[in-house]
Amino acid sequence: MRRPRLLFVASLLFTQILFVCAHGAEHTRIAVTPAQVSLEGKDSSMQLLVTGYDAEDNPTDLTHLAKYSFSPGYISVSRSGVVRSRKDGDGTVTVEFDKFTAVVPVKTRHTHARLTLNFENDIIPILSRYRCNTSGCHGKAEGQNGFKLSVFGFDPVADYQAIAMEGRGRRVFPGSPQASLLLRKMSGGTPHGGGIPIPRERPEYRTIRDWIAQGLPVGSDEDATIVSLEMTPRQRIFKMGETQQLRAMATLSDGRQVDVTELTQFQTNSPNQAVVDALGHVTAGQSPGTAAVMATYMGRVDVLHVFVPREETIKSYPSSQQYNFIDDHVLNNLKKLNILPSGDCDDEQFLRRVYIDTIGTLPTAQEAREFLARKDLNKREQLIDQLLVRDEFSTYWALKWSDLLRVDRLALGHENAYLYYNWIRESFQQNKPLNQFARELLVAEGPLRESPAGLFYKAVPSAKRASTLSQVFLGVRIECAECHHHPYDRWGQKDYFGMQAFFTQLQYKPSKVGEVLLASGNPVTKHPRTGESVNAYALGTVMPEQSPEGDRRLVLAEWMTATNNPWFARNVANRTWAHFMGRGIVEPVDDVRLTNPPTNPALLEALSHHFVEADFDFRQLVKTILMSATYQRSPEVNPTNERDEQNYSRYLFKQLEAEVMLDAISQVTGRPEKFEGVPAGSRAIELWDSSVPNYFLKVFGRPVRATACECERVSEPTISQVLHVLNSPAIQKKLNHQDGRIRAIATKIADNKKAIEEIYLICFARYPNENELEAAVGHLENSDDRQLALEDVAWSVMNSLEFLFNH
Amino acid sequence: MTQQRFCDGIRRRDMLRFGAAGAFGMGLTLPSLLEHEARLKANGVDTKDTSLIIVFLQGGLSTIDTWDMKPDAPSEFRGDFTPVSTNLPGIHISEHLPKLAKIHDKFSLVRSFGHANSNHGQADHFMLTGYPSGPGFNGGLKPNNQKPCVGAVIGKELGPRGGVPPYVCLPRMHNSAGSSYLGSTATPFVVGADPNAPDFKVPDLAPPVAVASRRLNDRRSLLKTINRYEQSAITQANQGARAMRTYQEKAFELMTSEATKAAFDINSEPDVVREKYGRNMLGQSCLMARRLIEAGVRCAFVNHIDWDTHYNNFHVLKNELLPKLDAAMSSLLADLEDRGMLDSTMVLVTGEFGRTPRINKDAGRDHWGPSCAIALAGGGVQGGRVIGASNERAERPATTPFGPADLMATIYHGMGIDPEREFLTPEGRPVPIVPGTGRVISELF
Repeated sequence: MRRPRLLFVASLLFTQILFVCAHGAEHTRIAVTPAQVSLEGKDSSMQLLVTGYDAEDNPTDLTHLAKYSFSPGYISVSRSGVVRSRKDGDGTVTVEFDKFTAVVPVKTRHTHARLTLNFENDIIPILSRYRCNTSGCHGKAEGQNGFKLSVFGFDPVADYQAIAMEGRGRRVFPGSPQASLLLRKMSGGTPHGGGIPIPRERPEYRTIRDWIAQGLPVGSDEDATIVSLEMTPRQRIFKMGETQQLRAMATLSDGRQVDVTELTQFQTNSPNQAVVDALGHVTAGQSPGTAAVMATYMGRVDVLHVFVPREETIKSYPSSQQYNFIDDHVLNNLKKLNILPSGDCDDEQFLRRVYIDTIGTLPTAQEAREFLARKDLNKREQLIDQLLVRDEFSTYWALKWSDLLRVDRLALGHENAYLYYNWIRESFQQNKPLNQFARELLVAEGPLRESPAGLFYKAVPSAKRASTLSQVFLGVRIECAECHHHPYDRWGQKDYFGMQAFFTQLQYKPSKVGEVLLASGNPVTKHPRTGESVNAYALGTVMPEQSPEGDRRLVLAEWMTATNNPWFARNVANRTWAHFMGRGIVEPVDDVRLTNPPTNPALLEALSHHFVEADFDFRQLVKTILMSATYQRSPEVNPTNERDEQNYSRYLFKQLEAEVMLDAISQVTGRPEKFEGVPAGSRAIELWDSSVPNYFLKVFGRPVRATACECERVSEPTISQVLHVLNSPAIQKKLNHQDGRIRAIATKIADNKKAIEEIYLICFARYPNENELEAAVGHLENSDDRQLALEDVAWSVMNSLEFLFNH
Repeated sequence: MTQQRFCDGIRRRDMLRFGAAGAFGMGLTLPSLLEHEARLKANGVDTKDTSLIIVFLQGGLSTIDTWDMKPDAPSEFRGDFTPVSTNLPGIHISEHLPKLAKIHDKFSLVRSFGHANSNHGQADHFMLTGYPSGPGFNGGLKPNNQKPCVGAVIGKELGPRGGVPPYVCLPRMHNSAGSSYLGSTATPFVVGADPNAPDFKVPDLAPPVAVASRRLNDRRSLLKTINRYEQSAITQANQGARAMRTYQEKAFELMTSEATKAAFDINSEPDVVREKYGRNMLGQSCLMARRLIEAGVRCAFVNHIDWDTHYNNFHVLKNELLPKLDAAMSSLLADLEDRGMLDSTMVLVTGEFGRTPRINKDAGRDHWGPSCAIALAGGGVQGGRVIGASNERAERPATTPFGPADLMATIYHGMGIDPEREFLTPEGRPVPIVPGTGRVISELF
């Protein structure tokens, strides 16, 4: 690759100028960076950052509040602190805020000399910054109105072709640059469907104009390339609503540093905590927590870590319960955020919660009675141990992994899909270490009947295998890099096809024992753009001289499941944590990248370490999470944590998953759901085929297993869900059924209080309180028909938030 | 309903039965609502009153026998019907659309319209999303959307208006009416019943018969007392629970509000109106669509499925289909205008493709994507225009051709939705709501 030519050259001295003021009430001093500005070349600029410090040295950004005065003629300074060269010379910028003054010397050189431009380094970043080459505009596969650019500028050769040569050359006229269609469209001279992205007065306009006038130079391979991108600041504690201007500096291969803030794209990963505008101005939100603001320029990324604590410090932070290492890490974070955790949940909440989260099943009334009656201190732990070995545990987790690993009857056929599912289910039943589970799937070979894990490769189209496995087992999305460099991560097309090359040996052959999966031959994978061969290599490793001998997948499996793999254990730990806590430490769970950092890195590290230490024992991981005080918190809110949905200061409500909710309704009413083609009495969490028709499951967001994305399972409520539980004749029928539980209660439990108690225990795993009892018993007493009145109570209970959510 | 078969041998009734199980499912979320309001404000766009009615003639309307007749073509092309004058000078349409001929000033035709797909399923997807179907497309799935249906986009973008859902399908859901990556919150609310049926009723919208209205009130007040989290700060602090509680309130509103009940109570329409629209599924569905829009629905998608006329095309059109279309569409347009709703309600009448200009051996016409006129009215579309022309045998557009992507751009333009808008797929890939080649058919406005 060639490197950016220097449009904006500036050498900097990052020493601070300090002015201490005797009268400063809030601020005791201000500091301006850089201390000196040296602008070289046409249209070069520098973003100043002005920071005020209080007596305790806490910083506040004043960049947009300070007043700038400057030597006229040589430079200009915008209100947001951007210094631009006008003419060669030496001058100063005087920065004033409150009682403070700072003077920044500025040198401008070669203001009128435009060095030879480089297409890839100087022109493409402009097209990227103004989103000309995004998939919504000219970057889409078919282009826009006949003008097509490669998405995010990943193919400079094609883009050069498109601009300089296609359209019979009418897009650019070196003889009369202003008349170029390219410039007229972007600046409003000619109607443009995309509006006026770059008006004539912008420096970017002049750059493109000059590039055309220079005769459309491609540039030279000698031109310096970008080495790294660095943002200032990179870490910052914000008050709620506080703002911060960012500066992005590119370091070039010749050692120079240039300000590229105006050509950098900024993006936040958590808008509740921080938003950022196109010019790199960050505003903190009103919810405490962390966010990452990402900067991207020419395929390089950097991140500002945003930390937004509640304003009011908690003077004496009370000690709260800590059951294991998880709680240390969570509390450390909460302390920094000035958030107090909620207290311990009560036994009733714990009981129902841990059943649903762990085995996807409600406790029975009998189980509830027994647990609530027990007085021993370690009864929660004992319950957890019991649940981990229940049959439903394997069934429930097999359902979840069948979603991700695509047990798809339509793609596999009935028999194969069932075999594949059973392999997953048995793996959880045996508590197979999860690295072994992944390895078996990765290297599966031979007759599919004996090695059903190999059906994964049948369920997922060959082009999607590498990206699916990467997303599921590593939490890393590389799918973008199939067609272009990942816009927010380090993965390029070579990395994608390096992963893909592990799977190109696979083929299915018929045999006497059915279909056989084989890995053979030495197929060559070509880079789709450069045509170079790409050997099989894992993400973040160096490509070897040749692809591994024999079944290449063995090498990948070895790497992926090694204890020091950077992603595998963290991914499983994070996914599992997210399941129980309602939110991943990295969120979304399957989008791990530098620019989407964990909200609590120490916690993720510790969980992952624990999982590795336990030899990838899944049940141990689950138990550790369940045993933490963090998991066992109450859903109650206090004034410090009512806005926190990110830092595990309380237990977050989770809507019951489609299958779990349907099972719960069947269990409560004592009437199992009937599914087509499945033995009578089967539960919804036992359905290995996600295409079994069921209206309820569909309405409640069962995934269709079409992608590797965790997000396929919809957890957002909808009005049709509400209407269905309210009015479904099928549910009413279950309530009213001759052999149903409500009728059994009506006929067998004569005492009204006891009858209501029974309904509460089966639905909520708790006894009703006095008000509830009074209302429900009152309803029974006022009714002529006890069965109908009990149905009404059960109906109301099933439509309550307490039933529809896990809490 | 007739027992005709699609050309692939599946009886439509089978398809209905197969698909009906999952036909209900729409959703509104608070976040999208808020987002919508904010976006509207930011853009200064006033879209609060725009709506769309799609009258989809599934199977494929023979446009050479209706909107785009070719009386001078050889007899094996031109067919049995005679063009008649409309109230637009020099414009003719089929003699079997006499009511529409009298009000051609209310709607416009695009005659240079077509696309390159002549398969059921794929062409449906193309026409309803603007995107051709890609590899792995399975038309039999319900929904089969690889891209969101125009109705889902409108529902998502414009959000709900009043207590009714923003996107409603009737009488059943078309297979390509789904929301794709827009998720369950953008899926249509499916009426799931024939408004022409004597016992017409929307499933789940009313409590089961066994639950009398007094019982519903009891249940509702019980629900308030026995719900531990009903009014608590805990609910307020949990997004999902907060949304669910809001929906419960909305659901009770839907169930009990006279307006909603009234919208679905097609029996309250005067008999004379019902007769005018036609006492059949198409007619009553169009009438219901008008009622729904009036109640606040953003997109009402009427799917009518008898149009695959491989056999006895002329007989079936003349005696069965065109009289229904004539009555339903003319009544709909007149009705919308009388109520002052036509300016804010766009109406699209189309099939997934046209039919072969050359008549087949069974006196029928087969599938023909390359040329199929579409009819549009209202919502900013000027009436009485005929845009473009097909060639002398209606085989392909003879003037600037328009296709499904252009149709989408045109609809979004009329709805005040930015056709350049992108949505993110679950993988985070941005996809524009209109594919790159789509441009607004500006001659309509």
